[in-house]
Amino acid sequence: MSDNPFCTTIAEQLNTGILILDLEYNIVEWNRFFAIHVHKNLQDMVGENVFTAFPELPKKWFERKLSSVIQLNTQSFCSWEQRHHLFELSHTRPITTDSHFMAQNCTFLPIATNKINTHICILIEDVTDVCHYQTKLNKTLEELAKANRIDGLTQVFNRKHWEECLDKEFARARRYDHGLALIMFDLDHFKLLNDTYGHQCGDQVLIETAQEISSLLRLCDQFGRYGGEEFAAILPETDLAGALDVAERICRAIEKRVIKFQDKNIRISTSVGVATINPEDKRYEDLISNADLALYEAKETGRNKVCAAKEIELILED
Amino acid sequence: MNNVNLNDDQQDCLQEIINVAMGQASDQLARYLDTFVYLKVPSIEQVSSQHLSDTLKSEAQSVAVVSQGFFGYEGIRGEALLMYQPKDSDRLADLLGYEPDELSVEEQIIDLSSILTTTFLNVFASQIDNQMSYSAPRLLFSSNADNNTSSQSSISEHIQHNAFNWEVALKVKISYQVTDYSFNCDMILLIPESAIINITSVIDRILEDY
Repeated sequence: MSDNPFCTTIAEQLNTGILILDLEYNIVEWNRFFAIHVHKNLQDMVGENVFTAFPELPKKWFERKLSSVIQLNTQSFCSWEQRHHLFELSHTRPITTDSHFMAQNCTFLPIATNKINTHICILIEDVTDVCHYQTKLNKTLEELAKANRIDGLTQVFNRKHWEECLDKEFARARRYDHGLALIMFDLDHFKLLNDTYGHQCGDQVLIETAQEISSLLRLCDQFGRYGGEEFAAILPETDLAGALDVAERICRAIEKRVIKFQDKNIRISTSVGVATINPEDKRYEDLISNADLALYEAKETGRNKVCAAKEIELILED
Repeated sequence: MNNVNLNDDQQDCLQEIINVAMGQASDQLARYLDTFVYLKVPSIEQVSSQHLSDTLKSEAQSVAVVSQGFFGYEGIRGEALLMYQPKDSDRLADLLGYEPDELSVEEQIIDLSSILTTTFLNVFASQIDNQMSYSAPRLLFSSNADNNTSSQSSISEHIQHNAFNWEVALKVKISYQVTDYSFNCDMILLIPESAIINITSVIDRILEDY
């Protein structure tokens, strides 16, 4: 490829494809790596237009790319992350990856003779391996990020992520003086259910209850598992009347729902506490405490019912 | 930190080399992009690694940042960061002369970054009788990318998460404006401590020649 014997030897041994085109995009030269992966003889291809030889190339894009190299006299790049490959070449991981063609990082270089650009050199690096592992890594990261947010059993937000959501919603409601309601649910006599029918039945009840509640909330509401048999929902831009209405509907829906477990029909109820943000609340934990108090009130006064935190305060004030 | 501080003469000289390079680069870009490209007078300052994220906080609005390493003879090397604002990317394909459906927004941003960086630095290098090579440009983050798990983070967060092995860097900020396409972006060249000493000796040689 050059007068220098080192260059020739190295270019032929290099695990990088080298393709040289003239300014009319005709093939001038390629190295052994390129020849092997393209399964073509250079002798048959010299002088042929690159778009005839490789119809898979995006012609307009490729021409514009090469024109920047010549006109600006600078190198240009093309990464597998944006374009998996330019040339349809075979690669070195055909067995252990699902990649059909070689993933490529390409570099375009201007080649000048006497300070005038006469050719373009395209370097083609096989990054099938990198692409394979990066894709796997991205997928794993996505799964991890999801697992970090989701409760494994019920598939709703876990406590940690739900509290982070509440923290954000609380700060937003504070800042813009918007409404914010919190509903907390605690399934009635859940321990008895577990003791009577076993934990698998308890799990089934938790899963179906979570589904039931989710289905009755709006898209913007954030719902999570707060503890063992406790769930909680954040309702942005919602006043007490609105939140009580939703809570009551959920309470009635759970009461009506029949959960099938091993030929048995299980019925369950839930106690519900509702609180809305008020000026005294300094931290989101204050909102949780208020909803918790209301929930306690619902438990104490007969279960399977909704209580509001405000009412407790009013009672206390009266 | 003192040994890497540029004195007034050195600072003026570097400023002058950059000004000349900007002029030539904007001329080349205008020809290639077929529209006027304005480069604003650069700011040159030293930043410490602790303060880098602070100084970049003003760029926190950026939706996309592309990094490209550069390296030349005499130990001159650094990293170029191209920063884009949300509204900037609307007509990029148009500006670059591509059909919008030929390439993704990310590829457009990377492509333009590479063109701006290499065009400027090539001219800059030739001013100091040097020659630059470049690493492939890399999208550090983009809020356009749905599959990018780091898409929530800002550039300052991104930089904070890295432990640096340098203390001081020379920061050169150049703003690009393409008024016909109402497009702006900032190029920030960061030259690490060891390379500042090398660039200073090149500047001293130029100053001696005068």
